[in-house]
Amino acid sequence: MKKLIALLMAVTMVASVFTGCGSSGESSTGADGEGSVKDTLVVGTDADINTLDLQKQNDQINNIILKNTHQQLVFFSNEQTFEPGLATEWEFTDDTHIQFKLRQDVTFNDDAATPMTAEDVKFTLDMAMDTDGGSLVSDALAGMVAVNVIDDYTFEIEIEEYNNEFVQSLASVPLSIQSKKAYDDGVDEPYLIGTGPYVFDEWIEGEYCRLVKSENYWGASASDVPSYMAEGASNAIEFRPYIEASSRVIALQNGEIDVCVNPPINELEYLEEDENITVEEKDGTRLFYFAFNVEKKPWDNQTLRQAVACSIDRDAVLEAAVYGKGQLQTTILNRGLWGFYDDMEGFDYDVERAKSLMEEAGYGGGSADNIVLRTTLTYATSSPYEQIATVIQANLKEIGIEVELKGLEDATLKTECGEGNQELFLWRWNEDSKVDFVYRDLFYTGSPSNYHHYSDKKADELTDIVATEKDEDKRLEAAQELQTYLVDACPQVPLYIANLVIAYNKNLQGQYFYGGGNHYWANAYVTE
Amino acid sequence: MIRYIIKRILQMIPVILVTSLLIFWAMGLTGGDPARTKAGEKATEEQVEQIREEMGLNDPFFVRYVNYVKGMVTGDLGESYVTGKDVFKTFMERLPNTLLLGGAAVLVAIIVSIPLGIYTAVNQNTWKDTAGMIFALFGVSMPNFWLGLMLIILFSLKLGIFPSGGKAGWDTLVLPALTVGFGLAALITRTTRSSMLDVIRQDYMTTARAKGVPEKKVIRKHGLKNALIPIITAIGLQMSLVLTGSVLAETVFSWPGIGRLVYDSISKRDIPMVTGSIIMCSVLMCLVNLIVDLVYAFFDPRIKAQYSKKG
Repeated sequence: MKKLIALLMAVTMVASVFTGCGSSGESSTGADGEGSVKDTLVVGTDADINTLDLQKQNDQINNIILKNTHQQLVFFSNEQTFEPGLATEWEFTDDTHIQFKLRQDVTFNDDAATPMTAEDVKFTLDMAMDTDGGSLVSDALAGMVAVNVIDDYTFEIEIEEYNNEFVQSLASVPLSIQSKKAYDDGVDEPYLIGTGPYVFDEWIEGEYCRLVKSENYWGASASDVPSYMAEGASNAIEFRPYIEASSRVIALQNGEIDVCVNPPINELEYLEEDENITVEEKDGTRLFYFAFNVEKKPWDNQTLRQAVACSIDRDAVLEAAVYGKGQLQTTILNRGLWGFYDDMEGFDYDVERAKSLMEEAGYGGGSADNIVLRTTLTYATSSPYEQIATVIQANLKEIGIEVELKGLEDATLKTECGEGNQELFLWRWNEDSKVDFVYRDLFYTGSPSNYHHYSDKKADELTDIVATEKDEDKRLEAAQELQTYLVDACPQVPLYIANLVIAYNKNLQGQYFYGGGNHYWANAYVTE
Repeated sequence: MIRYIIKRILQMIPVILVTSLLIFWAMGLTGGDPARTKAGEKATEEQVEQIREEMGLNDPFFVRYVNYVKGMVTGDLGESYVTGKDVFKTFMERLPNTLLLGGAAVLVAIIVSIPLGIYTAVNQNTWKDTAGMIFALFGVSMPNFWLGLMLIILFSLKLGIFPSGGKAGWDTLVLPALTVGFGLAALITRTTRSSMLDVIRQDYMTTARAKGVPEKKVIRKHGLKNALIPIITAIGLQMSLVLTGSVLAETVFSWPGIGRLVYDSISKRDIPMVTGSIIMCSVLMCLVNLIVDLVYAFFDPRIKAQYSKKG
């Protein structure tokens, strides 16, 4: 036995020695000419990518990777502004025609460095509208009639009616410009060819997706290239999925990854104590909300909905869900979006007011000991929904509403809510660029993602005004009126906006973080 | 022997058919619309309907099932709803990773458990036996995701010896193999001990000792060889479980194996991937059981003789 133990110890020691060698070899860096930048930036993600075919997906994790290999006509900055991208300028020639000028020095990152022209733009946008061809992103171009090529570097988009936000749609990653020639030539996986500073190298499902710096990136030698289109800073970028959050944190502490996306809030203190790690926290855009299916009785009763809104202790919700790392919110619009307005009265936590509204709604006399209404709260069986559901269940009991909790997996929840089978539900909405993607998608009559099943003529009219009104003052007035109206109508009780929290190697530089999580890594690098 | 193997392989067909039928049925009960999931939250009902038609989801249950079985016969397990990749190909890409982890874990288990099982049996009712059994109880009781995290904290974070996860060099295999192997070792230790205790009291052991055969040789040649059948059964059973049941360890260590593939696919309602993977797992289970039965014959001439008679 002693011999066996000795043998095991010897094997472990030898393994340790070899492993030690292996580890140092793996972390050794290849100089980029200056000898000070780590060769490969490694980003630890909380999800694995599922496809890199731009228009057949719209998942954040895929888009974060595709942002480095592809570029859009318009660039959406993390200051919520829209800047020239592949298109240098654009103007409405009349209400239904927008003319764009393209950069003339852009080439695709294929071997021949094929120039990008207006034909590529037309090809890309036409393909996006072709649902028969499998496009899943046609909704982003809703209202587009045609793309007309005027010359190699000028094109025109015809739309059904004037829309304030149509141009902003073109900043969407799935609408990045693709190479027509690659498709015409029958290139294998033609969608991988873009105009970005990186090219796709290898994706091993479940292990990593690796991008390497493009050798013939047009932006490296072009003049007047904005910083967000500069050449790649690291020689390679690797995205490694660490689904288990604790493992992702340890991998960062251990130096195996340089960035830990979405670190678990309850482990932040360990990261903050680590002198080699920076924990950054900034305003987020992801709104978590509690809502009603207003088609189902008794939740068609507006006063009853307001009573419930007053009974929810959102401070407790925020603490339970994200340890207070977020901002309470009154309005239904994501923070940071144009026209954000949060000065309406809303429904603060006030049990007495809630009971009074219950009385007015015809459900008076309720308390924890006297249940006057029973209902079901449907939510996703993942954090933070379970924590939120528990708090709300306790809150509603105080006003005499007994809530049965019904946890469902995400996909099932969306189907149930889409079909209108739920009564109360918890969900979230992450939008950082287009207000129409909030008003129309969540509250417009008949919208597929209007899980509230809310239908109101005035709200629809105001939504249309915000989308099409050219007078900025009138538009802003309509936006504020719409938000006030929706908060009062109360199909939804906004709870909080979670802060963006991200942890990374203290030597990381050039990072470009977005509150909604669509970070841009092409300019990021780690100094040695 | 050959006829026996062919017979066992043919017996796998009804197993696969029943498994696939059950999985088809069970996935239908889970709710959620795969077409809606694929189309995204903002897709209109027309778009969802178009995708539903393309995916064949509008066909009746048995039509879909029969179509699936037809595909299976030609080796076509369908395409993933999420990635669009061929299910069989994706499974086979992940299989080597799981076999590597499972093989390494079983190796760890065998190296630890068989000597320990023999040692505790030989020292029955002493403190050494008790210590060994406490180890076994600890291993059986401990959730492997917890053990995994503890090993990561110790060997990765504190000592910096092994990476915390992923699959790159051989060093990334060590901690997952130890985690899974430790749980397996506990059960095999108990089986080895129990089996050895049965054998140790046999007359031929006493005879061997009376003939002056050294004690180590008595245990190894006369005892262990006769005690091996239950141990092989236990190892075979554990191997089957490792192939399909390492979900937690694979998740904790970001190990890209079959367990994680199935787990991810279930959470994304990727029905073809889940169905295809589980069918392939049931095939693997059958194959492992067959291999275990054949290994019996290798260690026990009596069983080999039975096969020969049947053959």
